[in-house]
Amino acid sequence: MSLADNLADTARPEPRAPGAFRANRSFGARFSEWLDRHSRQFFITPAVVLILIFSIFPLVASLFLAFSRTRFRAGGYKSRFVGWDNFTKQIFGSEQFHFLGTFTSISLLGWAFGLAVTAWVIWAMAGYVRRSFTVIGFIGRLFPALMSICIAWMFAATLLSGNQFGTLGVTLFYVFVGCGVQFLIGLGLAFLCSQPIRGKNFFRVTFFIPLMITPIGVGYIFRMMADTSKGPFAEIWQWAGLGNFSWATDAWAARTFVIIGDSWQWIPFIFIILLAAFENVPKDYVEAAQVDGASSWQIFREITWPQVMPVAATVMLVRVIEAFKIVDLPNIMTSGGPGIATESMSLHSFYAWRALDLGQSAAIAYLLLFVTVVCCVSFFNLVVLNRVRG
Amino acid sequence: MAYRAPRIEDRGALAKWFEPPAIGAMAPGTKIIVYSLLAIWTLFVLFPIYWLLITSFKSAADVNNGPFFIPFVDYQPTLQAWRDLFVLDWQDTIRAYLNSMVIAVCATALCVLIGSMAAYALARITYRPNLVTILIFVAIAAGVIYTAFALGFDWRVSAAVGAALFFFLARAIGRRYKIHLGNGDILFWMISQRILPPVVVVIPVYMMFQSVGLLDTHIAIILTYAVINLPIVVWLMYDFFDSIPKDLEESAQLDGATRIMTFREIVLPLSRAGLAAVTLLVIILCWNEYLLALFLSTTEAQTMPILVSAMNAGERGILWWTMSAVIIVMIIPVIAMAAVLQKFISKGILLGAVKG
Amino acid sequence: MNVQSNISATQSAPAEQRLVSETARSLKLQGLNKHYGPFHAVKDLSLEIEPGEFLVLLGPSGCGKSTALRMIAGLEDITSGAMVIGDNDVTHVLPKYRDIAMVFQSYALYPHKTVAENIGFPLKVAGASPAERDAAVKDAASQVQMEDYLHRYPKELSGGQRQRVALARAIVRRPAIFLMDEPLSNLDAKLRSFMRAELKHMQQTLGVTTVYVTHDQIEAMTLAHRVAIMRDGVLQQLGTPTEVYDNPANKFVAGFMGSPPMNFIKGSLSGGTFTSAYGQVSLAGYADHDNVSVGFRAEETSIAGPDKGHFSGIVFSCEMTGHETIVTCEMDDGHAIVRAAKDYSIPMGAEIHLTVDPARVCVFDESSGVRIRPETA
Repeated sequence: MSLADNLADTARPEPRAPGAFRANRSFGARFSEWLDRHSRQFFITPAVVLILIFSIFPLVASLFLAFSRTRFRAGGYKSRFVGWDNFTKQIFGSEQFHFLGTFTSISLLGWAFGLAVTAWVIWAMAGYVRRSFTVIGFIGRLFPALMSICIAWMFAATLLSGNQFGTLGVTLFYVFVGCGVQFLIGLGLAFLCSQPIRGKNFFRVTFFIPLMITPIGVGYIFRMMADTSKGPFAEIWQWAGLGNFSWATDAWAARTFVIIGDSWQWIPFIFIILLAAFENVPKDYVEAAQVDGASSWQIFREITWPQVMPVAATVMLVRVIEAFKIVDLPNIMTSGGPGIATESMSLHSFYAWRALDLGQSAAIAYLLLFVTVVCCVSFFNLVVLNRVRG
Repeated sequence: MAYRAPRIEDRGALAKWFEPPAIGAMAPGTKIIVYSLLAIWTLFVLFPIYWLLITSFKSAADVNNGPFFIPFVDYQPTLQAWRDLFVLDWQDTIRAYLNSMVIAVCATALCVLIGSMAAYALARITYRPNLVTILIFVAIAAGVIYTAFALGFDWRVSAAVGAALFFFLARAIGRRYKIHLGNGDILFWMISQRILPPVVVVIPVYMMFQSVGLLDTHIAIILTYAVINLPIVVWLMYDFFDSIPKDLEESAQLDGATRIMTFREIVLPLSRAGLAAVTLLVIILCWNEYLLALFLSTTEAQTMPILVSAMNAGERGILWWTMSAVIIVMIIPVIAMAAVLQKFISKGILLGAVKG
Repeated sequence: MNVQSNISATQSAPAEQRLVSETARSLKLQGLNKHYGPFHAVKDLSLEIEPGEFLVLLGPSGCGKSTALRMIAGLEDITSGAMVIGDNDVTHVLPKYRDIAMVFQSYALYPHKTVAENIGFPLKVAGASPAERDAAVKDAASQVQMEDYLHRYPKELSGGQRQRVALARAIVRRPAIFLMDEPLSNLDAKLRSFMRAELKHMQQTLGVTTVYVTHDQIEAMTLAHRVAIMRDGVLQQLGTPTEVYDNPANKFVAGFMGSPPMNFIKGSLSGGTFTSAYGQVSLAGYADHDNVSVGFRAEETSIAGPDKGHFSGIVFSCEMTGHETIVTCEMDDGHAIVRAAKDYSIPMGAEIHLTVDPARVCVFDESSGVRIRPETA
């Protein structure tokens, strides 16, 4: 069959003029044309404008509030610039016990701890300066370094000297102890569920549920759980001789109690993401290691964990960011009590607002923002970036 | 020493229990440990929910006379709490429920729409905002806020003056400096908004809504929720859009589709799974949000979490049975969504973004 | 249909016999340049493509051929130069106003649309009425024999079928220019040669101007009216497949075209004789040159008896492919490949003598790669 035959055989449709399908230039067409030409702006402007109005404007306005004394009056409010007053009151003044804690003389243990941390931080900074030095890198490290020294001395003067610590300490306790516990348990559960077990879907759905329950609900549920006389574990409390024990009087018990509720809610978050990460590790790697005779622990440490690590770091970053905002659980479970033992900084700020002290409220909020940003940026630079770069 | 592969005779006594009999199977000893740990955790997760459920069917006496565990055996379940909730206080309950629904749905729709548009733009269009212009904008915005707040000028006047000043300065100064930011910077800026603790922004937001008379309205809460969840949408959807092959969009472009048409016809349908997952996530976050609602709503726009926490304040102490019922009512829709959401997560749909 | 005869028949079809569609337009590229920051991807590319012509852009990966195609499509900005389709300057015009269609390497079928919706998408975008669309879709589908699959989704189709849908989507709009970016590279070898024939047939029957990018020189040889060979962003040679094969402009083109590629031996020319470490051959009419390499094709080389022939080497391997035997000899820095009869056999390591056809040998300047022609024709 030759080419000529081919051409003759194929029925050729009538060719259309180019652009025969072009629509009429109606208003709609012209509008969509205009929109297309401005699609660059059209796509991104709404998000930028909303963030500017609801995030950036309040952030700046809040800064002004933090530096002034603002009172609500009929039909508006009046504010007066007071400089650093709101901050100094929190850090050095009459509210110091509330924010930082009660300071008396520092105990021997406190001195030892404070000096140890200071020495360690200075040593680490010196090591950095010797290895490599850039101005921005140095300043960037100076913030977390100074902050960790300050916080170490704060704990040395309060916790280690037998004094009560304030909302800053409580928040850090929630963040570091709470997140640490949640990470370890979440990782463990995810690893267990990634083993060849039956009913994987059942466990996956079940373990996920607490994350969805409203934090208010979690607060009330755990208040019921912890009721020593009418709660489900009443008999156990009585047997242990704690029948009349009240959560509302023991600071550490109350804090632990908040962390248990928080963990119950948030472990599922870490669990579900890490489980997906575990299951995304290519089977080939694991099977190759099994053929080479590696034990389960070796496979986990050498093969699975390096693959899961970047996900774990990011999940923890997200979790830490959210943990700094903790407010619902302590408010519902203990109302910040006993005293201020379970009061987080968010709650502290909220109580100041409720007392109509806008300046204090904004100042605490800004202190919280500062601590959050320094912690999260340090975490990001030291853990997430470091590990991803390998 | 020459390397020697382990032999089967070398197995110790313990290995019999803990060495898997085959690839992809578990040894009996491991099995016992794994399943018992999982069972313990299942109990820890489910027991509080079980307790919540049975408490909602208890009468006041059943709750106060000590712990009862099994309905029909330990105590006789009643519908007392449910009747209180839906018959006596039905107005409050239904209103809060409807408020919560309307707010969660509208805020999510707004947030997902705007967020995915921005995420798509950042994944596909190159932006080069001028750093100097941005700095001028920030300085002028701060000035406007200062004059309005601290010096007490009318905010409309100072905003207008500020806008005029900005356009003048941006043209005069901003153009001379060629320091540009990129898409990555914009993306980081948007996502980093999530770090802001709500208490930092909520007071000015409160004042803002107060000054335009929108306090305690749906629209105030919807807008606020849409913005606080925007970073999540941008973050997750950026990753999703980024993973769609560019070929498809280029092909549509060659076929004559506009960018908006490409977005609607090609990109959105292709990212249905990601959109569904993000939508569920945001709707759940809006549904459960507490602190902002506490500031921005009092009665009219009261949401469920506020209703629940307000039940604490009764003079008879907490009515645990009614409280349990209302919490159950609140979590039922979320649990249904959670089952679907967990499927998306386990498919790895939200994993990409987290990988860093 | 006998694919082989079809291809050989079309290869020699003169340009005036070519069928040209009414919608097909010419394409002129005038000194196109593309910079990515400091990287100069396409350097001063000029081409003129007639209406209905099938032009293949050929080159190794990273040579700028895909960038050139994407510039034609309008998916990449043109840094400098001009581009004309028909009579319109489209250098800085959005893709949708260029009236072009493109088949992507991945086919870029929309996974959430059926075959019919995929094919009809360009018309939907253009605002065609549903009835008009249906007719055009059926028409295009029948031309690629996919009319029975209109309601399937891309994931339910085989690779070859997806390829056809992509083709149908490109032809449905009757574009002025038809672009293809390695459309066959995702198919397995057998299907590829079949689709090659189909593609050729379709292009001829439709008479559309086509620019086709590939790194596979066999596709280029079989499909093209003219081949443009590129390297490092520079156009090396433009010509019909026969010209390019028989008369390469430089050593790169010679080594790139043909399978197996041309063999090269380094040496020097003096007094009309080429001398190398592996033997010599008299090449009349060439000027003296110290550093040249001589190229000869496997099919123009024969195996000579002991102590005869022009060059000698050591047998590296001897492969029987079915209809012939391919002998690889170690020679110079590389290998020289010779074709022999199917029953030929020689042990590895033996010495082998080769005879070349001095009239068809190509001589290249070894340092620049430029072809050296005899001074007396």
